[in-house]
Amino acid sequence: MRNIMLKEMKLSASPLAYLFILFGLMFFLPGYPVLCGAFFSTLGLYQSFLYAREANDIVFSVLLPIAKKDVVKGKYGFVCIIELCTLLLMTICVIVRMTALKEAPMYRSNALMNANLFALGAALFIFGLFNLIFVGGFFKTAYKLGRPFVFYIVTAFLCIGIFEVLHHIPGLEQLNSFGTENIMMQLLLLLAGIVAWLLMTVLSYRKACEQFEKIDL
Amino acid sequence: MSAVEVRELVKQYPSFELLRVSFDVRENRITGFIGRNGSGKTTTIKAMLNLIHPDSGTVSFFGKPMVMNEAEIKQRTGYSTGTVNWYPRKKIKDIVQAVKSFYDTWDEEAYRKYLELFCLDETKMPIELSEGMKVKFNLLLALSHKCDVLILDEPTSGLDPFSRNELLDIFTELKNDGVAVFFSTHIISDIEKCADDIVYISKGKIVAATSKEDFILKYSEPGESLEETMLRMEGGVSHA
Repeated sequence: MRNIMLKEMKLSASPLAYLFILFGLMFFLPGYPVLCGAFFSTLGLYQSFLYAREANDIVFSVLLPIAKKDVVKGKYGFVCIIELCTLLLMTICVIVRMTALKEAPMYRSNALMNANLFALGAALFIFGLFNLIFVGGFFKTAYKLGRPFVFYIVTAFLCIGIFEVLHHIPGLEQLNSFGTENIMMQLLLLLAGIVAWLLMTVLSYRKACEQFEKIDL
Repeated sequence: MSAVEVRELVKQYPSFELLRVSFDVRENRITGFIGRNGSGKTTTIKAMLNLIHPDSGTVSFFGKPMVMNEAEIKQRTGYSTGTVNWYPRKKIKDIVQAVKSFYDTWDEEAYRKYLELFCLDETKMPIELSEGMKVKFNLLLALSHKCDVLILDEPTSGLDPFSRNELLDIFTELKNDGVAVFFSTHIISDIEKCADDIVYISKGKIVAATSKEDFILKYSEPGESLEETMLRMEGGVSHA
């Protein structure tokens, strides 16, 4: 597995995939839909898939002495690493905003979603959608990228819009908690995000393995 | 002994089909796979490597079915295809660095030997190479791990006559080292120069799969060269 991951990171990846991890820092931006940071990180991954396709990466990988499902595993592994690195940056932003900056007026007066643990869970949900819709969709053909990416964009921005304004609905104000307010609820929502990401990724991976085994290259 | 057994491969496309393709690649032999453009050579090779799924038929390497033993078989098999551009903007040395970690039998000495023989600069990127040099780079990857079977799809196309000659000599060297070499080509003189066995495909159907001597005995008319025989046969097949 180590050699597949090294190949993914050194040969198949576009440098943009690494650079766009920095969009995780958008969790510091006041008055901006912070979840767009998750979307921009996946945009870097999309570039990476494009880059790999132009380099004939899939056929090259299949010709290596590994099983076809390991090729799929390598792609999912790389995607998850980039997502988790972005999440790490987002987590740092959230911790700073929950502690040192919890009373900062620029964040308190923000009409959009606050970058709290719920926002981290929501970012994981967006990443899960990318894995389910885009990566899973890609492995139906191993070359068509446009269609699954358009489906992902529409779904992701719909979800981002909902997550960003959800706290304005009466009764859901607590979703926008600052600092450690409603910490149990925040933690549960983060946990729900983790579970959703895991479920979407594992389901997508299994389906992708099945489909990739069937297609002609 | 057969290193590779291809049996009754059928694959249908809307405008082309492989029709019950069967042949053997024998150990310690060079097998030339000949046919005109579009005759089914690459489709057959793709089916052998499990890149496409035949509608029916089987492919076995070393007595083991390919579909069940893919990783193990690929460890013992070298493959190269014409001028396909792998990672055009990565340095050759970076591509090689990533590839060699997959092979238990990577042979650094062989890699250096072929790098020098093919006059390849490992600091260059594939996009900077001419078509012929791309072929050599693909061959370099296939030859640098000790394999028992070497499958090459049109390895001589795009090569200058000197490099082609060198390559055909390498095939003979590899055969003497115990490697079964299987290469497709539409250049009959390549077959004439080094092949022990001939697999001749036309319109998706195997016309002949036999030793070169038997092929000449069976199909050549007196005084006819192999090239003339094949041109006559292909003409016959085309107009059949």
